Amino acid sequence: MSHSWFYILYGVMLLGAAGLYGLLPRPQARRPAWAGVVVAIAIVGLAILGLRRMGDWDLRRFYFWLLAIPALWGAVRVVSHPRPVYSAVYLVLVVLAVAGELILADAEFLGAALVIIYAGAILVTYVFVIMLAQQHGPAEYDNRAREPLAAVIVASLLVAAIAQLLTEQPVAATQAAAAAASGDPGNVRQVAGTLLTRYFVALEVAGVLLWAAIVGAIWLVHRRVTADEPASPAGAGKPLGQVGREVPPF
Amino acid sequence: MSELHGYILLGALLFMLGVVGFLTRRNLIIMFLSTEVMLQGVVVNLVGFSRFHKGLDGQVFALFLLVAAAVEAGLALGLVVVMFRRKLTLDADVWRSMRG
Repeated sequence: MSHSWFYILYGVMLLGAAGLYGLLPRPQARRPAWAGVVVAIAIVGLAILGLRRMGDWDLRRFYFWLLAIPALWGAVRVVSHPRPVYSAVYLVLVVLAVAGELILADAEFLGAALVIIYAGAILVTYVFVIMLAQQHGPAEYDNRAREPLAAVIVASLLVAAIAQLLTEQPVAATQAAAAAASGDPGNVRQVAGTLLTRYFVALEVAGVLLWAAIVGAIWLVHRRVTADEPASPAGAGKPLGQVGREVPPF
Repeated sequence: MSELHGYILLGALLFMLGVVGFLTRRNLIIMFLSTEVMLQGVVVNLVGFSRFHKGLDGQVFALFLLVAAAVEAGLALGLVVVMFRRKLTLDADVWRSMRG
């Protein structure tokens, strides 16, 4: 395997990191227009690089990298879009793309569960809370990222460290479930068999955890909470709900 | 390079994007949305390894991760509602007094 491919990979990821830094929210006047294009080029370039080099050449690999494009673009927009509602909608895009990847990896049950639980339940809850909390349009604090350069550098180092792994061949796969692969009774039946035999206790504990979370969430929200005094003197006298939008953060 | 490398790379990139969002955004809801992006990266990784080892343990772990994500979303959004009622803003910097 050639080293030049890795240099190109690192270069593409560096390009994407620069574009991500440009895309992170900041006041309108200093928002570069090129950032979105740069990120899009980097993502498509990454998909092409992966398509050329990773795994055996077949249709599965093509769809894997095709679905990676909306997944990564959606993730970029989730973290960089100044309006929370759009962030939530882009997260739906990420979830759908990841569910597609799971179906490609023969994990149909998990893909369906991801769409039902994430896109169907969790995201609806998020959108409800966004609607509840922000009824007056974009807020000031959504237009100003906190230390974007440092965060992008730290995250890039993290990814570079993980990408280092790609230079090594993976160790041999365990034969953990060679028996499970034989006969192929279907993914749902296999997962159910594993879940209800080997992981039965964990399944019950997960149920208890969900129940405790329901009780905790109800206990948190049902109490009557009154607003504190405005966060800073500049907000005094403003009507409730206006304070957070008009008071500068620092 | 094997197929596993693609899953590792995609999972790492999704996780990295979530980290960036969690560190930089100041809206409480978007911070939690970023953790959901990180969890998607973890799911991709788990399923990739599950496929690599031809076992189902990774998929079962990913299912438990879905449980954890649902619990986290419920409790976190309950907390966000309470915090919003206290300060009437979603800005995380309002809670700077907790820095000590």
